[in-house]
Amino acid sequence: MNWLKAFNPSDIAGGMKLTGKRFRQVLFTANRRKVPMHFVAEYPEVKVKLAPRYRGRLTMIKDEQGEIKCVCCLACEKICPTQVITIIKGKKEGRKMPFPTRYDFEMERCIFCEFCVESCGFDSIILNHQFELATYNREDFSLGMEGSENMFENSAVGKFSVAE
Amino acid sequence: MPMTLTQTVVMALIQIVVLLAVIMAVVPIITFAERKVIGYVQVRLGATRIAGGHVGITGPINRAMWALGRVPVFSILRGLPIFMADGLKLLTKEDVIPEKADKLVFILAPAICMVPAFAVFAAITFFPGAEGLFTFPASFPIVGGLKFMGFLTDINVGLLYILGVASVGVYGIVLGGWASNSKYPLLGGLRSAAQIVSYEVPLSMSLLVPVLLVGSLSFRELSVKLATEMPLVAAVPLFLGFFFYLTCGFAETNRVPFDLAEAETELVSGFHTEYTGMKMGFFFLAEYANMIVVSAIAAAFFLGGHYLLPFGLQSQLIHALGAGHALNQPSILFFVGKVGFLLFVFLWIRATLPRYRYDQLMHVGWKFLIPVTLVNLFIAAAIKFVWM
Amino acid sequence: MFKNEEMEINLGPQHPSTHGVLRVKLRLDGETVTHCEPIIGYLHRGVEKICEDKTFFQGQVWTDRMDYVAAISNNLGWAESIEKLFGIEVPRRARYIRTMLTELNRISSHLLWLGTHALDIGAMTVFLYAFREREQILDLFEAFCGARLTTTAFRIGGLREDLPPGFLKQAQAFQDRFLACVDEYETLLTENRIWKKRTVGVAPISAEDCIAYGVTGPVLRAAGVAFDIRKAFPYAAYDEMEFDVPTATAADTYARYQVRVEEMRQSHRIVQQCIDKLPEGPVMAKLPKVLKSEVGEVYHAIEAPKGELGYYLVGEKGSGNPYRFHVRAPSFVNLQALPKMTEGKLLADVIAAIGTLDVVLGEVDR
Repeated sequence: MNWLKAFNPSDIAGGMKLTGKRFRQVLFTANRRKVPMHFVAEYPEVKVKLAPRYRGRLTMIKDEQGEIKCVCCLACEKICPTQVITIIKGKKEGRKMPFPTRYDFEMERCIFCEFCVESCGFDSIILNHQFELATYNREDFSLGMEGSENMFENSAVGKFSVAE
Repeated sequence: MPMTLTQTVVMALIQIVVLLAVIMAVVPIITFAERKVIGYVQVRLGATRIAGGHVGITGPINRAMWALGRVPVFSILRGLPIFMADGLKLLTKEDVIPEKADKLVFILAPAICMVPAFAVFAAITFFPGAEGLFTFPASFPIVGGLKFMGFLTDINVGLLYILGVASVGVYGIVLGGWASNSKYPLLGGLRSAAQIVSYEVPLSMSLLVPVLLVGSLSFRELSVKLATEMPLVAAVPLFLGFFFYLTCGFAETNRVPFDLAEAETELVSGFHTEYTGMKMGFFFLAEYANMIVVSAIAAAFFLGGHYLLPFGLQSQLIHALGAGHALNQPSILFFVGKVGFLLFVFLWIRATLPRYRYDQLMHVGWKFLIPVTLVNLFIAAAIKFVWM
Repeated sequence: MFKNEEMEINLGPQHPSTHGVLRVKLRLDGETVTHCEPIIGYLHRGVEKICEDKTFFQGQVWTDRMDYVAAISNNLGWAESIEKLFGIEVPRRARYIRTMLTELNRISSHLLWLGTHALDIGAMTVFLYAFREREQILDLFEAFCGARLTTTAFRIGGLREDLPPGFLKQAQAFQDRFLACVDEYETLLTENRIWKKRTVGVAPISAEDCIAYGVTGPVLRAAGVAFDIRKAFPYAAYDEMEFDVPTATAADTYARYQVRVEEMRQSHRIVQQCIDKLPEGPVMAKLPKVLKSEVGEVYHAIEAPKGELGYYLVGEKGSGNPYRFHVRAPSFVNLQALPKMTEGKLLADVIAAIGTLDVVLGEVDR
């Protein structure tokens, strides 16, 4: 009597009921006035909230006097698994600690592991919350201390965002 | 009023143009509905914007659609312009013909697939009433004062014509798969050939139930009499036949759970892997037009067509309330609503069910559907013999 | 009169359902597979060799990129094998947090498997439903360590930081709705006649063959062997957890599906125990400033979502990096069984078999 089971549609009806229920729920709430039943973020217009520990792009920090906090201990350069950081030590007038004359960051190879921040004993670098890092030009990934692509502000590469 | 030859020709041309325009408009809307329905079922939003962002030509459209996202009911319509974008994309894509392909057959195949899918509509009755949908005003040149009927032709072998012409479409798929001279399309084409040949049989057999009950092959006569002149017991074979027919219809149109010819995760895209641009668009048009045909036949024969109640139950209502009652009047809205619901079922099923394997599909067709449709036919014959 | 030809077909490396860059060379007689040969190496990066040039601390980022859907399991194996090499005792709280995150990762890996496997067989909706829950788990990872996929979550000797505030509440919210979601997937699949037809009796491999090929994980357990490293050789905090090892006897695709779904429920149970019994204390052991190894070798295996994930490390005297590093990758070993499972079956069964083996090509090729 096994073939009689083929006439029992409960298995397919159960699935249809579930998908129908989801369809109904989303159909009536698919606008921004209602609490959404769907699980998508409408990305460029609405951005998801990032966790406080989010690992974005590497950024250098200045202290209250506008002075770069980095003292060229080279810990980040050593720990970096992909060797994307290059620091050249230098001196600056009126500053006891060494001062980085160059701090080069090759973002195209960066894997955002946060080892550099962890190794930094002076809290002079962080990973910020910027995740829109795509760009048309490879050169834009080479970040330094000067120029439009610098290590202190968010990079200008988030130019694909169309949010107004 | 007898029509002159000129009037007949002009009238037919008008009807053909209107019909084609409606199909061409409905098919893209179904593709849009497919995105939306499957999106909503999968707790996401489906298409809400068109490519290009908030700048340039697409800027105002996208901004308007973003604003529409706040409006409660109409937010479903977000992304509607995507069907125009789809069409534009297909038209402007580069038309690649593989070097080793059989060029003539490769070009012919989409047409062979699409022309029958559209030709089938000639025999479908959208509204059976003799008063037609509307009357042209007398001031109209040539066709002034004539009625615009709800069907193109009403040939007395309409159903045979539909079955015959619709099955020509499979040649397009097989030839397209073969002419591509590629391995996945070949497998897809062969699967499709075997599948459609097998499912023709139970499909015709399940359609024989209404034919037997009415004793006619004319689409219009069938759809009217099935709704209005059936005894109560006839609902049994019609009810069962509806599900058997729909199953076979899914297989005939290559839709999930029988989409083996395309089977994205197995055969990449099946028979149309090598097709680009509007040639692929033709295959799509044919598939969606076939969906409309299958839904229209199911709605007309099994779901009561232009009347309110399905499975011939309308005749009981006519007995109870009299033919003049408001609930017993035919309306094209009932028909359109039923076709629309069935098209929704197509998409709903697609979002829910997995896909059969090739041998299991054959198994279902030959070992299950053919016997049960035969039994159903026997029930219908018994009813015809005893009650009618 | 008729010429009988076999068709050779390349399934992949670009194909919708080979889960990355797997290439399977098939010889088809009609639709029947007469010969099946998986060809790998398209994603080879030399992870093992690279790690020999990196310090013990740095190597972890490459383990993220092996089985990228179960990065935390890989991190755990790496951290624990080095702790074993150096004899470091990890604080109890850190072990609990590691267990919790690893089990969440097992759920997310199984969800991805369920979604893609169902999608291969044609059920589209399960994919999105599974990703809905996976997204919540990834949010938890993001809250804990700042990344969703390549987590680099643990450190040698414990954790970098304690749990962020509100993490347990977020995890509990996930726990509360997850079981109902598993029922939802089961509604769509378990009893469905098409799903059963496509999976029952498909791609079988017996327990003897599994052991002969070295196949581990859910595939082995679905053949009736209750071998789970979490029970057999407990690590992290598994010796303090209560859970069952689900097994089945049918050894087919459907049995593997049932085993994995049940494993998700068991992982849910473990996570709940971790949340309830989470001890207080430090999360990092006392470590020397620089890790310099002695001569020694260590093999440490953990139960990754795909099977036995083993790390073999050889230490060199006074060196900060491993002298030799080898990964026993479960996907790589399990993939060997593919020809055995599919030869003589239909083309569609190959797709089901690739899906049910749950291979991740990042791990196969390394």
